[in-house]
Amino acid sequence: MTVLNTQIASTELPASGLAIINSKAPFSSTHGKDALDVALIFGAFEQKVSLFFQGDGVYQLCANQDGRLVSIKDYLKTFSAFEFYDIEDIYVCQQSLANRQLAEDFHIDDVQVLSSIDFGTALNRHQHVLRF
Amino acid sequence: MSTLHFVRQSAFASNDFAQCLSVLAHQDSIVLMDDGCYNLKHSLMDSLIKRVDGSVNINVIASHAQARAIEIITAVNPIEMTDVVELTFNHNKVITWQ
Amino acid sequence: MKTLAVVITTPPYSHLTITALTYVEAALEAGINVIGVFFYQDGVMHANEDISIASDEYQAIEHWQRLQQKYQLPLHICITAAEKRGIACDAIDNETINKAFTVSGLGELVELTTKASRLVQF
Repeated sequence: MTVLNTQIASTELPASGLAIINSKAPFSSTHGKDALDVALIFGAFEQKVSLFFQGDGVYQLCANQDGRLVSIKDYLKTFSAFEFYDIEDIYVCQQSLANRQLAEDFHIDDVQVLSSIDFGTALNRHQHVLRF
Repeated sequence: MSTLHFVRQSAFASNDFAQCLSVLAHQDSIVLMDDGCYNLKHSLMDSLIKRVDGSVNINVIASHAQARAIEIITAVNPIEMTDVVELTFNHNKVITWQ
Repeated sequence: MKTLAVVITTPPYSHLTITALTYVEAALEAGINVIGVFFYQDGVMHANEDISIASDEYQAIEHWQRLQQKYQLPLHICITAAEKRGIACDAIDNETINKAFTVSGLGELVELTTKASRLVQF
C-alpha cells in the first residue's frame, strides 16, 4: 500500500482533455479495442487524449504478442499510429508490471512507466476520465 | 484537484477497488455503490480507514448496502443518490471503477 | 452552469443500469443540465426494440424513454457498437431502434465530453 498522493495546488496546471484507463487484457474481451476507438476519434478531432495502462491493461503493451494465432484482428498494431493522432502521453503503472513479472518491454516507443503516485498525479492533469 | 471515485465491484471478485486505492489522493472522495458495497467488509477497507484517518471522505449509497444486508460502519457515511449528484460537482472529476 | 454528460456501457438487462438511471434522474431533478447520454459497448442494447424484459422486472428502456420525454434528454447510441449487436442503423423507417434514441457516432462522444463540465461513466 502506497502513501496517499499529496498535491500542491500552486504548481498545478488547469486540468484538460480526456484520460482513458485501460484495465483489461487485450484478447478475451473487446474493451481494449473499444477504448482504442475512443482514443483515435479524440485524436482525429484534435482533442487531447492520454492513455493509461493499469492492472491487466498493461498486457496490451507487451512486445511480441500475436492475436492472429487466436484469430483476433491485431488491433494492438494500431498503437504504433498514435503519433499521427497526436496521442503522445502513454502511461503505464509500474506496480502493475511488477505484479505480473513483466519487463519494460513494449511494442511501442515513448511509454512512460510511472509509480502509483505519479500515475495518479498524471491522471489528475485531465478533466475527464473513462475506464475500459 | 479532487476526484470522486465510484466503486461498483466487490474487491473479493476484482482488482478494481485496489486499483482505485493506488491512485487515491487527499481531498478525494469514494462512493461505494452496487457490489462495491461489499468492500465495507474487505480488509482493504480496514487498512484504508486507518491509513487516511479522515482525509478521504468515504461514502456508501445507503439503500445499496441495506439491500445487501451489509452493516454500514461508522467511518463511512450513508448517502442518497441526490448526495452523489452533489458530490459530482464538488469534485473536479469522476472515475468509475466497474 | 453545471453540465453533465453520461456514458452508459452496461446493457438494459444488467442491474447496474438501474443505478445509472437513478443517478441521471436525480441530476435532472436537481436542475443539472444533462447535455446527453452516450450509449457505448453493451449500452447500445437499450435502443433495441426487440428486447423484452419480463413485466415484473425493472424496465430500463421505458425509464430512459420517460426521461427523454420529460426532460428532452438526448440519448445517443454509437452506430458501430449497435451494428455489431444486431441493431441495424442504416435502414429507412428502422423498426429495430427505439424512437427515443438517436443514432450517432463516437464523434458525438467527443462533442459531449468537450461541452460537459463533468463526464460520468456507468
